[in-house]
Amino acid sequence: MNEPRIRFENAAKSYGSLTVLDNPETACNEKVMNEPMVRFENVTKRYGALTVLDELNLDIARNEKVCIIGPSGSGKTTVLRMLMTLEQIQGGVIWVDGEPLTHMQKNGHLVPASDRHLRRVRSKIGMVFQHFNLFPHMTALQNCMEAPVSVLGLPKKQAEERAAELLDMVGLSDKRNHFPIQLSGGQKQRVAIARALAMRPKVMLFDEVTSALDPELIGEVLNVIRKLGAEHDLTMLMVTHQMGFAKEFSDRVCFFYGGKIVEQGPPDQLLGNPQNERTRQFLSAVLEAR
Amino acid sequence: MDEFSLNFSVLALAHGLLITVVVTIGASLVAVVLGLIAGLIRVSSLWPLRWLAVAYLEFFRGTSLLVQVYLLFFVLPFFGVALSPWAVAIFGIGMNYSAYLAEVVRAAIQAVDRGQYEASTALNFPRLTMMRRIVVPQAIRSMLPPSGNLLIELLKSTSLVFFITITEFTTASKLAADATGNYLLFFAVALFGYYFIARALITPLVRWLERRLSSGFVREALV
Repeated sequence: MNEPRIRFENAAKSYGSLTVLDNPETACNEKVMNEPMVRFENVTKRYGALTVLDELNLDIARNEKVCIIGPSGSGKTTVLRMLMTLEQIQGGVIWVDGEPLTHMQKNGHLVPASDRHLRRVRSKIGMVFQHFNLFPHMTALQNCMEAPVSVLGLPKKQAEERAAELLDMVGLSDKRNHFPIQLSGGQKQRVAIARALAMRPKVMLFDEVTSALDPELIGEVLNVIRKLGAEHDLTMLMVTHQMGFAKEFSDRVCFFYGGKIVEQGPPDQLLGNPQNERTRQFLSAVLEAR
Repeated sequence: MDEFSLNFSVLALAHGLLITVVVTIGASLVAVVLGLIAGLIRVSSLWPLRWLAVAYLEFFRGTSLLVQVYLLFFVLPFFGVALSPWAVAIFGIGMNYSAYLAEVVRAAIQAVDRGQYEASTALNFPRLTMMRRIVVPQAIRSMLPPSGNLLIELLKSTSLVFFITITEFTTASKLAADATGNYLLFFAVALFGYYFIARALITPLVRWLERRLSSGFVREALV
């Protein structure tokens, strides 16, 4: 975290006599490093009269691993879905990597984003779903190649190499020519992770990725996520019911209740010594169920 | 029944059969192409396009096929467009059935799991690429059985082209029956003739497509 990922040294840019950038070293590094990767600013989500998220404010730093927990209906999945632009927001602004996601800046004002802007900013985000959502008519390898080829325009050969590498990383190189229907839940979910990574996102969203799995398959998926967190520069946002994993893996845990963050903090503190009554209730209910 | 009229009738029947097959194939091609286009436009995200598709299929699905064929054949010439009976047969029947097919296409597309659309969005697919690479390849599988039904229906409606001067299979059978007086024989031939065309042409094609497109899906249902 101390070594900046991008460093400008004495960079300058001028058009004729107009100097646009003049040695922006300090400013840029500070800006890049201090700016949160994702920022929710007063974000509100409503379905008709039902308010799912109420003026949510949440900053997620670069490379931070954040787990979101909470009872069902608390709005935790909605946070991820809004960030993936699967849900429209009714108020506020979401910022990704310093840019507004669903809006764009025009003459100093924020206006609704064009499709082009939306797709550019969205390309920084990848998502893994509870029900995998693999493409059933394609093999594991084709699943991981499809978007790089037809969305990014990568040559087939290059996409195939990268897809094979990623499948190798999730431990499925022997399943590359299998169709999703021939894979177990855990294997499907690992293919889904590889597929999302093939687009080289900066932010990865995991939406209850182990909830649809048999208990004995959960471990293999969590191991892959653990490995990802350790080996890649990825900001991760994860909705989960795996409290043990949240405790060991995340930098911060947020407890959602009734469309608000009721409590957040380092996992040891929030899971070990929660301050809020509702958090305590939730945690004891979850732990009792085991 | 003398030999001459029998031979003559058999020849006329074979000719009629050929015409029915040609009209069926031509109209089917028109129906499938226009049906796919109309169905895809029907689920477009732009409402003027959607509206256009609705108007198209309401007209062709909601009014009588025979009247549509009459319109093309007898009324269009008043506006300076004189189509040959063949063009009217192939395009008239084809457009009519394309309206039914468009609804089959729409239903199949809308039946593709929501998760597939969400995954495509998450992978940043533009809408058209998503339709082409992800949605339609999955939807086609569920379009096939009802499309097979419609093509068999289409085959049987081709007898309507009798009204625009084309002597197709049913007409030929009727003429042969009239000429020889052997109604039982020739209507039996006509009855089985249609079954034969459907069984030889349409069913194998649909089955073959179902098999080809089934990779990645459960196969038990396809014998």
